[in-house]
Amino acid sequence: MYKDSDQVLDTVISSPANTGEEVPSSSILEMRGISKQFPGVLALDNVDFDLRRGEVHILFGENGAGKSTLINVIAGTFPPDKGTFRYDGKDVSHLTPHRARVMGISPVFQEFSLIPNLTVEENLFLGRETSTSGFLRKKAMSARAAKVIEMLGFDLDPKKRVSSLSRAHQQMVEIAKALLADVRLLILDEPTASLTENETYKLFELIGRLKADGVGIIYVSHRMREIKEIGDRITVLRDGRKIETCNAADVGENELVELMTGRKIDVLFPKIDHKPAEKLLEINNLTLANHVVEDVSIYARAGEVTGIAGLVGCGKSELVRAVFGLEAIEEGEIVVKGEQVSHPRPDISLSKGVCYFPSDRVAEGLALERPIRENASMAALNLADFSWMRVLKKLSERKLIQDIVDRLKLRPPNIERAVGNLSGGNRQKVMLARGLTRETDIFLFDEPTVGIDVGAKVEVYDLMKELVDNGAAIILVSSELPEVLNLSNRLYVKQRAKLVAELTGDDMIEQAVLSCFFQDEEANSNAGA
Amino acid sequence: MVSNNIALGHLPQKEVNQLVRVISTMGLLPILLIVIVAALSIFEPRFLGIFNILNVLRETSFLAILAAGQMLVLIVGGFDLSVGAVVALSSTVMATVMANTLGIMPDEVGLVIFIGVAAGIGCGVVVGLVNGLCVAYLRVSPFMVTLGTLSIASGIALLLTNGIPVYGMPKVFVNGFGRALWLGLPTTVYVALTLVIIVWAIQRFTVLGRYIYAIGGNLQASQVSGVSTKRYLITAYTMCGALAAITGVLLTARVGSGQATLGGDIMMLQSIAAAVIAGVSLRGGIGRVELVTLGALFLSIVTNSMNLVRIDSKIQTIVLGVIVIFAVALEEYGNRRKIRE
Amino acid sequence: MSDASVSVQKGQFPRVMALIMRWLMPICLVLMGLGFAAVEPRILSEANLLNITTQASYLVIFAAAQMVVILTRGFDLSLGMCVSSVSVLVALVMTGIVKSDPQSLTLAIVLSVSAGIAFGVLVGAFNGFCVSVLRVNPFIVTLGSLNICYGIASTISGGRPVFGVPREFSNMVYSGELLGIPAPIIIAAVLLVIIHLILTRTVFGRGFYILGSNPRAAKVAGMPSRLYLTYAYIICSVLAAIGAILLTARTGSGEPNLGGSIALESIAAAVIGGVSLRGGVGGIPAALLGAVFVTVLSNGMNLTRIDGNVQMIVLGCVVIAAVFVDRIRTK
Repeated sequence: MYKDSDQVLDTVISSPANTGEEVPSSSILEMRGISKQFPGVLALDNVDFDLRRGEVHILFGENGAGKSTLINVIAGTFPPDKGTFRYDGKDVSHLTPHRARVMGISPVFQEFSLIPNLTVEENLFLGRETSTSGFLRKKAMSARAAKVIEMLGFDLDPKKRVSSLSRAHQQMVEIAKALLADVRLLILDEPTASLTENETYKLFELIGRLKADGVGIIYVSHRMREIKEIGDRITVLRDGRKIETCNAADVGENELVELMTGRKIDVLFPKIDHKPAEKLLEINNLTLANHVVEDVSIYARAGEVTGIAGLVGCGKSELVRAVFGLEAIEEGEIVVKGEQVSHPRPDISLSKGVCYFPSDRVAEGLALERPIRENASMAALNLADFSWMRVLKKLSERKLIQDIVDRLKLRPPNIERAVGNLSGGNRQKVMLARGLTRETDIFLFDEPTVGIDVGAKVEVYDLMKELVDNGAAIILVSSELPEVLNLSNRLYVKQRAKLVAELTGDDMIEQAVLSCFFQDEEANSNAGA
Repeated sequence: MVSNNIALGHLPQKEVNQLVRVISTMGLLPILLIVIVAALSIFEPRFLGIFNILNVLRETSFLAILAAGQMLVLIVGGFDLSVGAVVALSSTVMATVMANTLGIMPDEVGLVIFIGVAAGIGCGVVVGLVNGLCVAYLRVSPFMVTLGTLSIASGIALLLTNGIPVYGMPKVFVNGFGRALWLGLPTTVYVALTLVIIVWAIQRFTVLGRYIYAIGGNLQASQVSGVSTKRYLITAYTMCGALAAITGVLLTARVGSGQATLGGDIMMLQSIAAAVIAGVSLRGGIGRVELVTLGALFLSIVTNSMNLVRIDSKIQTIVLGVIVIFAVALEEYGNRRKIRE
Repeated sequence: MSDASVSVQKGQFPRVMALIMRWLMPICLVLMGLGFAAVEPRILSEANLLNITTQASYLVIFAAAQMVVILTRGFDLSLGMCVSSVSVLVALVMTGIVKSDPQSLTLAIVLSVSAGIAFGVLVGAFNGFCVSVLRVNPFIVTLGSLNICYGIASTISGGRPVFGVPREFSNMVYSGELLGIPAPIIIAAVLLVIIHLILTRTVFGRGFYILGSNPRAAKVAGMPSRLYLTYAYIICSVLAAIGAILLTARTGSGEPNLGGSIALESIAAAVIGGVSLRGGVGGIPAALLGAVFVTVLSNGMNLTRIDGNVQMIVLGCVVIAAVFVDRIRTK
C-alpha cells in the first residue's frame, strides 16, 4: 500500500513496465450485463462496457442516464446487482474503493473525495500515506506532493487547507490525487466543468501523455468540443441502458445528441410561442453576501422563458435562489411585479406568486418519507383552500392535489404513496405540483430535468410551454445547453459571478454561449481563484 | 503562508478574518484562563494555596484524560455518552478484582495490582469496542448507542456493588500511587501528561491520527479514498473507552475504594464541555488535544473557584449545562459566519 | 443523478421483509407477554393487566412527548429531569399554599398545576430556542438543560422528597375513577387524542413531519421552521410536565429523583414503537405500542423478580436493539 510511492512519477512521466505484458486482450476493463437497482430507479440496465489500454473512452449521456452509477461501480463504490467485471483479464468481484485503487483504478469524481479540513498534500496522500510503522513521513510526502503538482503544472499550494480553495483548485487537487498512485485506469467525471481554458489545455496535454503510457481513460462529459478533441470511442447511455458504442471520428454532433435524448431535437423541445409582455421580475445590480453573484441585472417578462447558462460554480442557480430568499443578499434590488422586495423570504415570495424548483430535489425539495399529497401541498398550507385557523381541511386538500396530480399525468396517480418510492421524473412532477397549488406566475426552474428520463423531460417542457402560454414568466437555469438554447426566448450567460452576455434570436447558438464562457479567461486566471 | 495567500490574490480582509478565527478557536481559551487565574489570585487568595493548586491539577488530570478520549470520538463525528458510566464500571470492576485476588494471593501485591488495573481498563476497552462496532457496522446514531451502553455499564457497576463502595485494594496502590506525590506533584498529573502527549503524537505524527481527522471531515470521501473507515471508527471509540477506564482507575486509586457513583453524568458532561470549549467541532474533523487539556484546566479552575466561594454543587451543574450549550452555540455561530464569508 | 447519489449503498428491500419489519414489534410484544406468562401466570391476572394499563398510561405520555420532538429530527434527553423539577415544584407550591391556608385547596391545586405546566413551557421554549435559533445540536441542548433541570430540582428541594401533597389531589388524579376507569388512563387517553389531532389535523403538526423528513425542503416551501421547532419542544415539555403532575399525585410527594430513567424509557418506547430517529415518521399509535412494550417488559421483570440493576442493563440493550431495528426499517 505504501511501497509504490516512488513509481508514481514514473507512471506519469515515462512508460510503465506493464505495457508490454502478455495479456490476452487489449482491453484493460470488460464489463458485461451490468445492472444496478436503486429504490425507485433502475440506474443501470444490462450495460456492456469495455476500455482498451491507451484509449480515451467517452461516457456520454444526460444527467441521470447512469454515467455516475457506472463509474461508481468501476471505482468500487458499490457493487453491481448483476453482471461480470473483468479487469486486466481477470474476473473481479467484491471490489472496494481500496482494492480498486490498489489495482490501479483512480477515479476523479465530480463530487470531490476531499477532506475539507486537511491540507492539499494531506489530501493527496489520503489512504496511501508514506509511513514507517504507523508514523507519517511528512517530509517525504511534502517533497513528492510538490513534485507532482509541479509536474502537472497546477497552481496549487500544498500547505493550504482544501476548504479555503476555490472549486477549480479543488478539482486540481482531485486530479493530482488520482495521478499520485500507479494509475492504469483513470476515471474523469466532467473534469473541466470548473476549469479555465488554460487549465483545460494542461489537462488535455496530460491525458495525451497518459494515453501514450497505455493508461485507459474513462472520460465523462457532454461537451461536444472536448469529445471531438480527445475522445477515441464514445459510449452513449440513456435511462440506464447502453444505446451505442461508436468511434468518435465516425459520428456527428447532431447524431450524438439524438442518441443521447432518443428523439429528434425538434420533437424533444416543444415550440414555445413566446409573447413577451410586462416585466414581472427585475433584478438590479444584485450582489450576494458570498460574492458568488456580483452586480447582476436581469429581468423576466410574462409570456416568455428567460434562460440562464453558465459553468458549474458561476452562481447561476444562486441568482434565482437569492430571488426566492434562500441566499443572503449584500446589495442590489429585486422588484417583483413593480414592488420592491428588500429581503426576500420563501414564504413572502410564495405569497407574491414566485415559486422556486430546486435542482437537488432530494436535498431541498421533497420529504421522501411523506406521501405525495403532503409534499405537493406543503407550500400552500396557509391558504384558505387548505386550512382554516391552522386546522387542515383534509378533504379539500385531497381533492385539489388529486386534480393537480391528474393534470400532470403522474402515474400511478395514488397521492398517498411515499415520494421516496417514485422515480426521478415523478418526483419532479410532485415538485411542479407544488407550484400549481397556489397562484403562481413567476416560475424559477433550477436544472429542472436533472436526473429524470426523457419521457418525463418532454412532459416538463410541455408544462413549461403551457405555463408560458398562460402568461407566466419562467426563468430557466440549466447546465444542459440544448435545453436553454431551445426553450428560451432570451438567454443570459454568466461567467464567474458576473453576467457576461444577453443573447437573443439568432445569436442563441452553442458556439456563442461557449465563447462567452471562456472569454477574458486569461485575465481571470491570472487574478487567481 | 501569508505571502502565499496574497500571491494567490486573496483579499487582505480574509487575512483579518482568519486572524479573528484563529483567536476565536485557539487564542481565546488561554486568554480566558489567564484572566480567570489573575482574578482569582486577586480576589480569592486561597486559590493560590499549595493544596488548592495540587487539587486543581489533580482534577484537571482526570478530566483531561477523559476529555481526550471524548475528543477522539467527537473528531470522527461521533459522540460518547457512556464515558461517565465507564469510569464507574472500571472503578468497581478493578476494586472488586483487586479485593478478590488479594484474598487469594496476599503476597503478590504487584500481580494483584496489575490484574486489577488490566481488568479495569479492559472494561473500558470492551465498552468502547461495543460502541465502535455498533456505530461502524450497524451504522446507528452514536448518541443512541452510547445512551444504551451508558445504561448497561452503570447497571453492571451497580449490580456488582449493590451501590456499596468496594474496599480492600492493596494499600500500596492507594497510598503509594493514587494519593502519592512524585517530585511534589500528584502521580495522576504524570499519567495524564504522558497520555496527552501520546494522543498528541498520534494526532500529529501517525496515520491513525490522520485518518481520524479524515473520517470526521468527510466519511464518504475517506471511504472512496481507500481508508478502512470502520476500523478507524472502532479504534477511536475503543481508545475513548480505554481512556475513560484509565480515568476510572486513577480516580479509584485516589478515592481508595471502587464506587459505582464515580464519574456519572457530571463527568460525561464535563468531558464534552472541555472538548467543546477547546474548539472541537461537533460536526467532526476538528480538534486538538493540547487545547482540550487547556479546556479541562479551565473547567477545573471554574469548578474549583465555585467551590472556594461556596457555590452549591447543584448550582454548579446548572453552570456546566449553560457552558456546554453556550460553547456549542458559539461554535455554530462561527460556522455560519465562515460559510457566509 | 441527485436522486441516485442519495440512494447510494441502499439495496432494494424485499417487500416481505418490509412487512415482517412492520409487524416485528407487535409480534415481539405478544411473544414477550406469553413468555413472561409462562414463567409467572399472575401476569395475565385481571388486576395485573389493569396495573399494566395504568403504568403504561404514564409512560405513553412521555413516549408521545419524546415522539413529537423525534419527529422533527430532535431529541429530548432532559425529559426525565424536567419531570423531576416539575414534580418538586408542584409539590412545593401546593404544600406551601395549603400550609399557609388549609382552606384554599382548590386554589393550591390550580396554582401548582399551572406553575408546573408553566415550567414545562419554559423548559420547552428554552430547548426550542437553542435548537431552532441558536441551531445547537438537540442532544447537546437537552444534555445541558438536563443538568440545568437537575440543578433546579435538587436545589429547590434540597435533594429531599417534598412530602405533604394533599390527599385530595391524589384522590382526584391518581385513584379517582370515571365510569370505573382509573383517572390516569382517562387523562392519558385525552392527551393522546389531542396530540393525535395536533399531528394530523393542524398546519404545524403537518409541519413537524415535513420538517423532520427534510428541513431544507420545509424552508424552500416557506414553512416557519423555527417556530414549528419551538412548538414541538414546548409540546414535549408540557406533556412531560403533565406526566410529572400525574406521577406526583401517585407518589404523594415531590420527588427530585422521579425522572431518573424516564428519558431513557421514553426514547426506548418511541423508537420501539417505530418512530424513526431520522425524523418524519411516527405517530400516536407508535408511541402507544412502544409504551405498552416497555411497560410489559418492566412489569414482567418485576413480577419475575429480576433485579432493578439488571432491568437497567436490559433497558440499555433494548434501546440499542430498537435503534438497530429502526436502522433496518428505514433502510
